[in-house]
Amino acid sequence: MTTRSSPHSHRAVVGAAVALLGGLLLSMAPLSATAAPLTAASAVEAPASASVRSATIDPASATESIGVWVRLDSNKAAVAGVKVTVTGSGGFSSDVVSGADGKVTVGLPGAGDYTVKLDETSVPAGDGVPRAGTNPRTVTVAANSTGVPAYFLLTTATGGSSTSAPGSTTSPGSSSSDASSGPSLFDLLVPRLASGLIFGLLLALACIGVSLIYGTTGLNNFAHGELVTFGGLMGWVLAGPLGLPGPIAVIGALVLGGVMGYVQDLGLWRPLRKKGVALIPLMIVSVGLSLALRYTFQVIFGPGTLVAPNDTSAAVNWGPVHLRSSDLIGAIVCIVLLLLVAFVLLRTRIGKATRAVSDNKALAAASGINVERVIRLVWIGGGALAGIAGALIGYYQTIRWDTGASILLLIFAAVTLGGLGTAFGALVGSIIIGLFIEVSTIWLPANLKFVAALVVLIIILLIRPQGILGKRDRIG
Amino acid sequence: MSDQSATTDVNVNVNDAKQIYIGDVGPGVKKRDPILIADSVTRTFGGNTAVNVEHVEIPRNMITALIGPNGAGKTTFFNLLTGFDKPNSGNWTYDGQKLAGVPAFKVARRGMVRTFQLTKSLALLSVMENMRLGATKQKGENIFRAMLPFLWRDQEKANTAKAMELLGRFKLDTKKDDYAASLSGGQRKLLEMARALMSDPDLVMLDEPMAGVNPALTQSLLGHILGLKDQGMTVLFVEHDMHMVQTIADWVIVMAEGKIVAEGYPSVVMQDQAVIDAYLGAHHDVDLGTLTGQLAVAEDIDPHLVEELREEVSADPELAEELAEEQNRTEQ
Amino acid sequence: MDFTFIPLAFGQLLSPQTIGFALAALGLAVHFGFGGLLNFGQAGFMSVGGYFFAITAVKFGFPFWLSLVAAIIGAVIFAFILGIPTLRLRADYLSIVTIAAAEIVRYTVQTPQIAPFTGGSDGINGSSAAFDALNPIPPGRYGIAPLLYSASDLWIIICGWGAVLVLGLLVWQLMRSPWGRVIKGIREDEDAVRSLGKNVYAYKMQALILGGVLGALGAVVAIIPTSLQPENFGTQTTFFLFTIILLGGATTVLGPIIGSIIFWVVLSLSDGILSILVTNHIVPLSTVQQGPIRFIIVGVALMLLVIFRPQGILGKKRETYFSV
Repeated sequence: MTTRSSPHSHRAVVGAAVALLGGLLLSMAPLSATAAPLTAASAVEAPASASVRSATIDPASATESIGVWVRLDSNKAAVAGVKVTVTGSGGFSSDVVSGADGKVTVGLPGAGDYTVKLDETSVPAGDGVPRAGTNPRTVTVAANSTGVPAYFLLTTATGGSSTSAPGSTTSPGSSSSDASSGPSLFDLLVPRLASGLIFGLLLALACIGVSLIYGTTGLNNFAHGELVTFGGLMGWVLAGPLGLPGPIAVIGALVLGGVMGYVQDLGLWRPLRKKGVALIPLMIVSVGLSLALRYTFQVIFGPGTLVAPNDTSAAVNWGPVHLRSSDLIGAIVCIVLLLLVAFVLLRTRIGKATRAVSDNKALAAASGINVERVIRLVWIGGGALAGIAGALIGYYQTIRWDTGASILLLIFAAVTLGGLGTAFGALVGSIIIGLFIEVSTIWLPANLKFVAALVVLIIILLIRPQGILGKRDRIG
Repeated sequence: MSDQSATTDVNVNVNDAKQIYIGDVGPGVKKRDPILIADSVTRTFGGNTAVNVEHVEIPRNMITALIGPNGAGKTTFFNLLTGFDKPNSGNWTYDGQKLAGVPAFKVARRGMVRTFQLTKSLALLSVMENMRLGATKQKGENIFRAMLPFLWRDQEKANTAKAMELLGRFKLDTKKDDYAASLSGGQRKLLEMARALMSDPDLVMLDEPMAGVNPALTQSLLGHILGLKDQGMTVLFVEHDMHMVQTIADWVIVMAEGKIVAEGYPSVVMQDQAVIDAYLGAHHDVDLGTLTGQLAVAEDIDPHLVEELREEVSADPELAEELAEEQNRTEQ
Repeated sequence: MDFTFIPLAFGQLLSPQTIGFALAALGLAVHFGFGGLLNFGQAGFMSVGGYFFAITAVKFGFPFWLSLVAAIIGAVIFAFILGIPTLRLRADYLSIVTIAAAEIVRYTVQTPQIAPFTGGSDGINGSSAAFDALNPIPPGRYGIAPLLYSASDLWIIICGWGAVLVLGLLVWQLMRSPWGRVIKGIREDEDAVRSLGKNVYAYKMQALILGGVLGALGAVVAIIPTSLQPENFGTQTTFFLFTIILLGGATTVLGPIIGSIIFWVVLSLSDGILSILVTNHIVPLSTVQQGPIRFIIVGVALMLLVIFRPQGILGKKRETYFSV
């Protein structure tokens, strides 16, 4: 393309990109069709699961279920054939055996507290026992929660294994390794680079909204994490309870995220802008909104982890890197979307207007740009990107009522790292943060991986407060 | 420029019997008694050179006007001299002491105080508190002594009396208990100037003291500035109002594109063709005062965008006026 | 229906939790209300203070006063670590760094490797032993049912409110001194204050330290009757504090104290009412869903306060902090 391309060719490029994106998402369809919801997985794969049900409730039709997953702590390899007993009030008891993927889903008669006990004698020799304090355990199942996790990690070590961080971001697809001997640094590093890169790309999608909203309105939106959570939850609702194919759920999250962004701007931020509320109070309003939304999600969706139905087998095996197809497609979707955003910002009229507003609102308004319209579009776009980021995070990891809030600081760190208000800085910052938190787990306990990222943020502010791509004069 | 002293004598302010400069008049001319001397001061934003001053001297106990077209780098130069911005290179001395690299608050403590183009009155402090804040060497500003009022009460009384005297002079004494936010734009300008005087400065640097001041107050402001000189202070100010420059300035320094392009007595400089070209050439149809604020804001943003907008604005005086109104609104 | 929650809610008037939040909110008012420092990590100051106090008391057996000094030193160190990189930057940078730092503290103390020292995610119990040893009140029950206080309850309540009184007066005196004038000037426009020859950076650092120490002392009061739990110092604690100072008025000394009382009484009352509604099936919520409601209430209250009554429910309109 030449430097002065016509609007017509712009449209063509956007169209092509959208088509490509749609194609990619559709390519997920067959995958998730075979995968089916986790709740249905055991029904589909009934022979593999070889369930011994004393009180069988079909997990595919049950409105509440527990998802058991037995793996080795050392390399996260699945352990099949382990007997697990789930007991609950009213004499409910169900014995199940983990399938080839280490998983089995238990249908439940209703919400409540259930005890999940792993029969340690049924574990294959040499695979060890569940980590101390995790067996048996009580799982609280809220109404309409399917696949509430009861994951067991088997360890032969006698103690001192790390516990997972609060708001754990375990990445099931990326860290399995079949190395039976002591892993080399290469084997440790490469899978983490892969998962870090994917997480960084997901983070970047969520960051763009923060960066653009900050750029155009000056607002540091502390409720942006809730846009991500909202997208993730909507994706889960569409794919899980409503049983729609994965791609539709992801696109649905994109659309609903955009709607959420639009509604927020229309119902809250625009009136406040008109009222002339200053930036710091606006920031505090966003804090209040974040609290209110986050806990509303908890009321509606319960405090547990929600698992989007997915095929968990590794589709790609490159040396020590094992990725599920959804990881790969998610990453590609991210890249396409990011390129699309870059294109829109650099080449289209609305993109140029957005950058002009970011640079100087009064000047942009004076040169005939409808600032309110730009801000509205930024909210819609930012919300949509956050929404799809949430849905993809739901596939990549799991989704919870506070998923967005737990990565909000990573988003801020990424945006600050790249330079507040610069969209491309946000991308660079996200990738760095994504890689950093994953790679740091080689040397640091898992719960310190966020800490590592936040320490980097503070160090960057010390050395180069304008961020990597920011201009020096902007920091005032 | 050749020797113009024969024709300038009539234009020299009557108070200045002695000649200000030594040698030939021209950019960077030596002064008989300079208070501030700056050498090769440069500041770039991105790739654009905002300030590139080779040599300039500010005469002591005179009123010097710094003029120039928009984007000439006057405010940036002000910021550099007062430590509010860091130069890429350059040196300057104040009263013979090196001042480059000294932080802004220390610059002020040495007796060189400034005001701002966009008035910085402290809105939620009362007028009197604003004034008291201007006083230097306050014992009670140390956090430990602050807890023991008897240590600073006397000094506070003295400062209050001094503030009352200044407020009286600036006709703000009746407002002393009001929040600064309740003052008009012009009154805030006055307050800012009065507050700066609380520190008994030697050099007062005023960044557009007349911008946004209504005509009724202009005359008294002019009087106050002349009064500063009578009290032995040196004044350096940035201004666009040529009438004001003609009325009170003893000396005029003209900046364009970051450089000093001319210096001289007011009436002489105004007739200099180079000045007329540099200053009025591009924008002779636009009221210069209204645009400054905009372009000062625009100075540090994308140069391409600025250029585009500047063209648009200069092509349309109405737009320029709108912008100025917008600016005033955001200011208040 | 069980209405004992009503007197219990009014028990919050005096509770150590209210005192702790009042002190921490006073600290936040010094930062934000008076100094304009957008500290989103006051919970971090509380956490650091709490850990320095509890670790020195329980693991090293320090006497009470020494532990208290340790808590103050901890807050001062934390303020330096936060302030040095950020106080030269814009307000929003400070907000992000402070919230990040508070989270760093919360994650770090839960690291299993240092659990013998910090108690991991279980926190630290029994830090009040040295404090209780100083208790002159004879053992027994004091008060009217259902509000009954043990001697150690009473001891911490008396000492806590004493501390609120002394520290409140201290802040009040500081804010009407020339020092306070500089701090308030910085809130309005730090360049203007700089142009008047004040070392803005040093003043901001002093304000950060003062407010942080108040936060640390608040944490000490709050943990003495219970135990130190790392999860109590998450970001929501900071946002509770913001709600409190906005409730009472951010630019006053009395505001944070009254705000804390109102906050905890109202929250406790609403918990009680909700509990009755839920157990009697008047609202269609389960007991699991009941927990998050208080956070929703706080979130909505925070938004409404900022939008409609930024001067606080007691403040006068013209004292509104958000002037612009």
